[in-house]
Amino acid sequence: MAEIKKNEEPRIGVFVCHCGTNIAGSIDVAAVRDYAKTLPNVAIADDYQYMCSTPGQNKIRDAIAEHNLTGVVVAACSPRLHEPTFRNATAAGGLNPFRFEMANIREQNSWVHMHQPEEATAKAKDAVRIAVAKASLLEDLIPKSVPVEKAAMVVGGGVGGMQAALDLANAGIKTYLVEKNPTIGGRMSQLDKTFPTLDCSQCILTPKMVDVYRNENIELLTYTEVEGVEGYIGNFDVTLRKKARGVLTPAEAEARGIIGGGCTGCGDCEAVCPVIKPNPFELGMAPRKAIYIYHPQVSPLIYTVDFDACVKCGLCVEACGEKKAIDLDAKDEFMTVKVGTVIIATGYDIFPIEKKLEWGYKRFDNVITSLEFERLICASGPTGGHLVRPSDGETPKKVAFVLCAGSRDNTGVGKPYCSRFCCMYSLKHAHQIIEKIPGAVPYIFYMDIRSFGKMYEEFYYRIQNEGAKFIRGRVANILEDPVTKNLHVNAEDTLLGRPLDIEVDMVVLAAAVEPSAETEKTRRLFGVSCSQDGWLLEAHPKLNPCGTTTAGVYLAGVCQGPKDIPDTVAQAEGAASAASIPIHRGEVELEPYFAQCIEEKCAGCGLCVNLCPYGALALVEKDGRKVMQVTEAKCKGCGTCGGFCPGGAIKMQHFTTPQIVAQIDAFLLGGEQ
Amino acid sequence: MAVKKDYKDQKLVEKLRDRNYYIPDSNPEFIKEVEQIGRTAAHMCYQCGTCTGSCPSAPRSSYRIRLFMRKAILGLEEEILTDPDLWLCTTCYSCTDRCPRNLAPTDVIMAMRNLAARRDIIPRNFLKTTQLIYETGHGVPNNDANRAARKKLGLDEEPETTHKYPEYLPGLRKIIDHYGLKERADKILSEGE
Repeated sequence: MAEIKKNEEPRIGVFVCHCGTNIAGSIDVAAVRDYAKTLPNVAIADDYQYMCSTPGQNKIRDAIAEHNLTGVVVAACSPRLHEPTFRNATAAGGLNPFRFEMANIREQNSWVHMHQPEEATAKAKDAVRIAVAKASLLEDLIPKSVPVEKAAMVVGGGVGGMQAALDLANAGIKTYLVEKNPTIGGRMSQLDKTFPTLDCSQCILTPKMVDVYRNENIELLTYTEVEGVEGYIGNFDVTLRKKARGVLTPAEAEARGIIGGGCTGCGDCEAVCPVIKPNPFELGMAPRKAIYIYHPQVSPLIYTVDFDACVKCGLCVEACGEKKAIDLDAKDEFMTVKVGTVIIATGYDIFPIEKKLEWGYKRFDNVITSLEFERLICASGPTGGHLVRPSDGETPKKVAFVLCAGSRDNTGVGKPYCSRFCCMYSLKHAHQIIEKIPGAVPYIFYMDIRSFGKMYEEFYYRIQNEGAKFIRGRVANILEDPVTKNLHVNAEDTLLGRPLDIEVDMVVLAAAVEPSAETEKTRRLFGVSCSQDGWLLEAHPKLNPCGTTTAGVYLAGVCQGPKDIPDTVAQAEGAASAASIPIHRGEVELEPYFAQCIEEKCAGCGLCVNLCPYGALALVEKDGRKVMQVTEAKCKGCGTCGGFCPGGAIKMQHFTTPQIVAQIDAFLLGGEQ
Repeated sequence: MAVKKDYKDQKLVEKLRDRNYYIPDSNPEFIKEVEQIGRTAAHMCYQCGTCTGSCPSAPRSSYRIRLFMRKAILGLEEEILTDPDLWLCTTCYSCTDRCPRNLAPTDVIMAMRNLAARRDIIPRNFLKTTQLIYETGHGVPNNDANRAARKKLGLDEEPETTHKYPEYLPGLRKIIDHYGLKERADKILSEGE
């Protein structure tokens, strides 16, 4: 490390960026540059069209050598964009990269004060003066490296989570795939066909499910939930709750000394079980027993006891016989695994559309949701693929599809966003009834058809050509004929400007989607932010869509926002790639903004320990007295402890009290001394 | 180079004139005024038609509330204020209940009626109703047929309103006079509008 220039007079270089006209359009860049030259400690001030360009960076590098600078200030955009760029340039000039300070004169100035050039220029001068004051006091800092555990975790076993787990595992990383349900597969396994290719959802999904089950690098943990998370990137300790399943896998049986035992998925137990419950996989439209599997293609093929319903009659235990797979006294088990990175893929639920009273879901028998339609039209569904009216089992001929049911809705009952895949699956539904029911007519009530993906517009063309009726108007309300249970759909054909009352046999609501029930709990455990509507927040909407603001935690699929299958899989592969990078590098560098304890001043009161939101502080014995100690890798540099410490014994690196006071002084005492 | 159309024959020129364009920004201030009176962000309408689909008037008349929303946004002031359909809203508020953009189309209509009234454009039946309320306290006063029906049902011939208690009429008239409604109605009706 270069010697620390402690007693040297600070010599600061200031560089003002034009950013084309982004900054220069409203700020007098030359005036700011000339002003900077008058500030104390400033050795050189310059300006350039694009400071981030190679010539711009070279200016910094060269000036450091030429003027023997001790600190660099760039007045340009937000540090979120180019702080790393200019730190590198500072390092290239031979300075410690943390001797760089950025003055944001774009996002927080020229863009918002576009029409006030004089005030904007004055504000830019303030920003530069403040930055110079801090830069004069900056110190060399050394980033800390921590090793990364060579294992990853994926939370959620839908198509996104499965894809992410497969990619990680195939890249040679031990991966824990955690799924709360007894089987992986997620929402996609409930779908019949997929747009726009119309291939069978299960047919393309089950090979992946098998791959996941067979992959040596994947430890599949179904019927398991995340209970607690500790640690930080590279070293997450995740506590898992393995819910009591009541059924042993062959491996678990062997561990108990039952050789050749364990569940084989034969189903003998199910046959004798006297308890009948609705099957949630079929959305309650088909029965299951208290000992059950969701559907024949589950992975792993292990039965599960629903202990809320089980009467513990023991018939299943008898039926299971020598395999001894069933343990009706099973209890939840806990386990802790250590992983380097985590991918959250917790998916979505359907918005409870009965809250929109005007459409009568759950009041009128023949109003169903699209997901119920998927099960009813699916050959392995409760009706063997025959679409029937719930009221009388008849085949519907006229079916209305209500798009934007609860989406694009600002009333507070509903979701303001577009749920993104409803247009396309409703087109597919229209195709399916035309194909399966001779003479069937689908009426699609839409506001806009959003066929944005590859081959989607062509699919729209195809369905229109097949005879689907498109009515541009949002459905105002639905009324039921109490005798026939037919439905009257009221809407306006907005293109004709006429109100409509169409009598149909069935209505399918393309209900909005919302984050799954577990998303909120999971995101809190991993410290991930969410947007106003509950979707998990990516680090950057365009340039970092898989990352989060928590280092080492990534997002895949609908938990980040509504997505169709192609987009979910694409994001999952992106997240897997991002999550594998720290693991393959083997170590991560942490920004050195840690709290530091000045032990001579520390009274060992320990108040800071409880304040720390990251559990990074502890009291330790040192030379016969108690002092606080920081686990640097856990510290996020939030400053809570530093601001609180009654003795001023905690130093926040890069945000030291003298640095902050100098900034405040520079602002308040101003340039007009 | 644009060539000026010239059919030589003036009658033909008039007949073939492009006259079905509309000017989309007729009065950009109109929607602002409507929003100020109606207290709803009418310009956020996305024309889904839930309002017309909910409207009890629409299946029985040419009243199209969605069209009024559209015209209001475009500032087609003259077209709106002189349209007799503006007065076909029953103010049942079904559209307001269901509007997915959380707007109040009913209040937009009411605001535009206000603006029409400022220019004395009010249908005769509304003015007559004003006069009747002033005179009797009822938009639809009691009549002999009604009295007979009430009697048959075992009710008093006159309901518990100003019909039975005419001493409350002066108070009612004071309110109407405060706003000059009766005077206005008389004046417009006498002018034969």
